[in-house]
Amino acid sequence: MTAHRDRGAGPPDEYVEAEIHRLLTEDPAVAEQGITVVRTERALVLYGEVESGHRRDEILRRVSERFPDVPITSDIGVIRKQAPTEIEQLP
Amino acid sequence: MVIRIAAVGDVHLDQDVVGRFRPALEELSGNADALLLAGDLTRHGTEDEARCVAQEFGGLDVPVIAVLGNHDHQCDQVPRVVGALEEAGIVVLEGDGVVLDCPGGRLGVAGVKGFGGGFAGRCASDFGEPEMKAFVRTTTESADRLGEALRSLDCDLLVALTHYSPVPDTLAGEPLEIYPFLGCYQLGQAIDSAPTALALHGHAHHGSERGTTPGGVRVRNVAHPVIKQAYSIFELGDHLDQAQVSGVGAGGIQQPWS
Repeated sequence: MTAHRDRGAGPPDEYVEAEIHRLLTEDPAVAEQGITVVRTERALVLYGEVESGHRRDEILRRVSERFPDVPITSDIGVIRKQAPTEIEQLP
Repeated sequence: MVIRIAAVGDVHLDQDVVGRFRPALEELSGNADALLLAGDLTRHGTEDEARCVAQEFGGLDVPVIAVLGNHDHQCDQVPRVVGALEEAGIVVLEGDGVVLDCPGGRLGVAGVKGFGGGFAGRCASDFGEPEMKAFVRTTTESADRLGEALRSLDCDLLVALTHYSPVPDTLAGEPLEIYPFLGCYQLGQAIDSAPTALALHGHAHHGSERGTTPGGVRVRNVAHPVIKQAYSIFELGDHLDQAQVSGVGAGGIQQPWS
């Protein structure tokens, strides 16, 4: 893992974005490949969907723990799991 | 002939979510002839997680056929993962196929995990460093096994099941830069080498549902984050009007349809 110099109050840099993206997949407590990290002017926003609220909380906990100075916003949802109400017909 | 296929991929089961799918799965009986699982059944590919999959998807009234995904390889326990699934009666395909006798006819399913590599004109080549050649050869060998399996099945309706995508169409929504990690054209070529009626895959969580191979075979991305329901159901049959291609039945799965 690469060490980061202090960025002060500026926006998170591209390398932090890359490291968070890899952490989401490579950290065994997360192991999610379907989370997108988007760098905005003020924060990093995490988008995607996971199988449980617990997994969403764990993602935020691990990212905040590893990058305590990086402002993170989350828009991660939990995937619905109801039976389908429609079928697709394929002649 | 009418055959109904339920399918989902990328369910990423572990102890924490066991039971989530079960209420919807209990509704499968009478509404589908088989359930196909398009890989990434577990989070890390451990035997314990595979037992969660077995608990969730085992003991159903319909046959369950699966391929593994890249997550299911993470802990290098593939034989034990496959063993746990098979103990629960789940058929795991990797370069082979199975034919099911359904009331509407014989359903043939050939499956392989597949691999990345990219799509025609923008793909990796078997050239250069050993690592690159090994990468592309993995892709080619996987697709070749799928093609052979598809062509070997004697059935009325042929379905291809993969984890990686055979076409770029169903990746729409993913960053273009990662397409080579999401699928390869060789899988599409294999699917087009046989009279395949439908190809199902997962892996691309931000992709889209529908596409076709260059040969005209319908492709559906059934990754759970894409379909946003426990599974999708596809009805295939020669009774349907051609004008209904890709039409959606409006009755709901608990009502009869024709």
